Amino acid sequence: MANKVESSTEMPNHLETATFEGKNKVLGFWLFLGAETVLFACLFGTYLALRNQSLGGPTTHELFDLKLVALATALLLTSSLTSVLAMIKMNQRSMKGMVTWLVITLLLGLGFLVLEIYEFQHYVHEGHTFMSSAFGSSFYALVGTHGAHVTFGIIWITTIMSQAIRRGINTDTAPKLFVSSLYWHFIDVVWVFIFTLVYLLGKVG
Amino acid sequence: MAKENNQAISQKPAGAMKHILSFVFMIAFTAAAFFVVISDKVPSGWVVPLLLIFAVIQVILQLFTFMHLDQKGSAFYTIFIVFGIFVAVISAVGILLM
Amino acid sequence: MGTLIVILVLVLFLAAIFTGGYNKQFQERVRKSRTWDWLTTVDHKKIGILYLMAGLVFFIIGGIEATFMRLQLFVPGNDLFVGRTFNELLTMHGTTMIFLAAMPMIFALMNAVVPLQIGARDVAFPFVNALGFWLFFSGGLLLNLSWIFGGAPDAGWTSYTGLALNQYSPGPGVDFYVLGLQIAGIGTLIGGLNFLVTVINLRAPGMTFLRLPLFTWTAFVTSGLILFAFPALTVALLMLMFDRLFGANFFDYTMGGSTVIWEHLFWIFGHPEVYIVILPAFGVMSDVISTFSKKRLFGYNSMVFATVLIGFLGFMVWVHHMFTVGLGPISNSVFAVATMAIAVPTGIKVFNWLFTMWGGEIQFKTPMLWAVGFIPTFVMGGMTGVMLALPPADFQYQDSYFVVAHFHYVLVGGTVFGLFAGIYYWWPKMFGKLLNETLGKWHFWTFLIGFHLTFFPQHFLGLFGMPRRVFTYQTNVGLEKLNELSSIGVAGMVIGTILFLINIIYTLRKGKKAKADAWELGRTLEWSIPSPPPEYNFAQTPLVRGFDALWVEKEAGNKSMTPAEPLGSIHMPSPSYIPILMSLGFFVAGFGFIVRGIPAAAIGLIIVVVSLFLRSFDYDKGYHVEPEDPEKGGKE
Repeated sequence: MANKVESSTEMPNHLETATFEGKNKVLGFWLFLGAETVLFACLFGTYLALRNQSLGGPTTHELFDLKLVALATALLLTSSLTSVLAMIKMNQRSMKGMVTWLVITLLLGLGFLVLEIYEFQHYVHEGHTFMSSAFGSSFYALVGTHGAHVTFGIIWITTIMSQAIRRGINTDTAPKLFVSSLYWHFIDVVWVFIFTLVYLLGKVG
Repeated sequence: MAKENNQAISQKPAGAMKHILSFVFMIAFTAAAFFVVISDKVPSGWVVPLLLIFAVIQVILQLFTFMHLDQKGSAFYTIFIVFGIFVAVISAVGILLM
Repeated sequence: MGTLIVILVLVLFLAAIFTGGYNKQFQERVRKSRTWDWLTTVDHKKIGILYLMAGLVFFIIGGIEATFMRLQLFVPGNDLFVGRTFNELLTMHGTTMIFLAAMPMIFALMNAVVPLQIGARDVAFPFVNALGFWLFFSGGLLLNLSWIFGGAPDAGWTSYTGLALNQYSPGPGVDFYVLGLQIAGIGTLIGGLNFLVTVINLRAPGMTFLRLPLFTWTAFVTSGLILFAFPALTVALLMLMFDRLFGANFFDYTMGGSTVIWEHLFWIFGHPEVYIVILPAFGVMSDVISTFSKKRLFGYNSMVFATVLIGFLGFMVWVHHMFTVGLGPISNSVFAVATMAIAVPTGIKVFNWLFTMWGGEIQFKTPMLWAVGFIPTFVMGGMTGVMLALPPADFQYQDSYFVVAHFHYVLVGGTVFGLFAGIYYWWPKMFGKLLNETLGKWHFWTFLIGFHLTFFPQHFLGLFGMPRRVFTYQTNVGLEKLNELSSIGVAGMVIGTILFLINIIYTLRKGKKAKADAWELGRTLEWSIPSPPPEYNFAQTPLVRGFDALWVEKEAGNKSMTPAEPLGSIHMPSPSYIPILMSLGFFVAGFGFIVRGIPAAAIGLIIVVVSLFLRSFDYDKGYHVEPEDPEKGGKE
């Protein structure tokens, strides 16, 4: 399969949209991201409306640890960069380069996830649980949904990477790799708002 | 094959540089946002607007460099994601202002 | 009792497998059977038929529920269906009609028509399309199973929290609502996404956006609304599920939660939903009226503009469902103005339909009758809509039968009439046979008269102070006569629907075979190919040379479309069993959550994950077919 593309007369600059299926897939995925935007907005709205309802439990001020958040943010932002570098390698048909960057992306994602689990554990210990108050419910719903997206992203990218390793970078795997990278950037975009509107705002307001 | 590879390599620095530059900006804005909150030097009325501006700039950077909305043929992607953001903002603000 | 049935079915199933009912030969037989073909199809035309049949079944169930309610309200102080049963009936009637009858019938028409109207061989994501149907179907099934598994939901179709929380709605009813709609909603969302990509990427050469037939335009805008509105419902249902199943506190006031958040989320979804179900009806009307008036649609560009504008404004009016919540005068005024603004594009549409008919060579075939009946009925619903948009007046109408009358004029007079018009109009294209005209006309007149007899008096019932959703009323307060009339009217709609079913059965047996251009007035691309179309739709992709593509060719004296490509083998996607497997997984998971059986839920979710992996590692690239040459006497 891989040979077929490379031997074609015209070498497309963007392998992910080189075929009709690829074009459909990328467009469809952008639309899906539009829907996800609204989904997260609803969770954000709910959180912001309920964030002061801690009912005597720890408040945002007491709870959040900005150092941990800064570290998590750095990990995720960097993983966004490595993901885009992997895509550049993909379009250069460099399997080794792509896989290297993807593995780094995945490791950074895993690091983020570990931090988040540690953070949640810490909060539960402090008496801030899903069931303790409306603040707790909305906090875990928002940040947890994001965490679930990260988890899904890690599994997804791993799956597709293994397919690409076995079958080469071609018009079949490239769109899959590309949309999974879009997904990863989107997770990062959501995180930008989570650290701004949840953590930083929690220290301000 | 070799020629094509050369061509690809010659394109590489520009593409990667753009992304790395954008990444540096994003880190800078993130750091600025953290700084605004941690230091008490910024007047309190300015904090929230500043935070939001920093976040929005980062999102624009992500969308247009990392997610390639700056490339040709992205019109439909842009239309739908912008409308999605529009609906998202209205919904979130609507819920918040209840 | 319910759990016993499930176990029994499973045991029988396993017994059949272990006693040798399942071997290679059996497998072979199954694969070649027609049932297997329909269960695994990814052909948009077949999926359209599946949507239509499922939608009709749910439409009948919802209709029976409505009939029961009107029977109860026939006389004052009746004790036929009281209390909780009545609440269940009204909840299930609303939920079923909106989510399980209107939505799938819209998707039925979209599936059957949109790819044909844009000159495409298929939809963009055939697999996703199939998955969308099966998710909708398993969600609908799950919701309706509530009748036998411990009681239907009874908190109203809006399921306002407070009332819908465990404390006030014990039992599994609302859980069925939450999980059934969640699953069906995911199906609808991905279905809408598929159509957006289809319309953007799969248009035939020359089919620019401003040459799209209006039904395709409305399908496009509706899909966009689905895409951006359904996530709000997903979030709302997720939170309600957490509150009910896992002890979260989103809506529990005593724990700092807020019921207003549910109302916001529900209506952020719910108001666009109204346009989701009405816009395709507008599209059907535009196509039908133009066809049977033998005229180009009047003001095509303004029609497109109005459609897009309605879709856009649809996201900015949800608070008009919440005027009495107390969000303050500014909020109420802003949303009132936005709501009234929607009357403008809608008015543009109504006038365009009238001007299309003006001076046209009108043929009153059944679809046209529905279209003509639709206009005044819908305008009445629109008028009461503008009345309700005034916050001070709304405080009076709120929660009375006036509101019930209003939305039935819009949803039945608008959506259902539109769907019937569309079904009669495109039935020959879907099934290759024309529905009987005489029965169709009887259907129209009985339904129309029955409808107005039922719902017109309800305006006055509301104004006289009868509250909605209450199972009885007293004598001597002036409500008897109107309620009696209203209940009698139901008979008309029931008879009409029965006539429609008879018509379907009659047509399947004896109906007249339809030609490619079944009405001989076809203007758009779907009428240029045989009825029913071959699996690849177009043997050669047509070249589109103007709005009303087929009509342009007819006027130029051509018998058929000019092909845009030479005849060649056509790529088709392979059927897949994964959509139904994944939906089964969701169904099992949903049921597990409802009965609080975590193992069952886990099994269901594992099935879902496994099917996702199966799909990801499915390298089947489909197959090729050789089309019949239409020149050499292909089937007409």
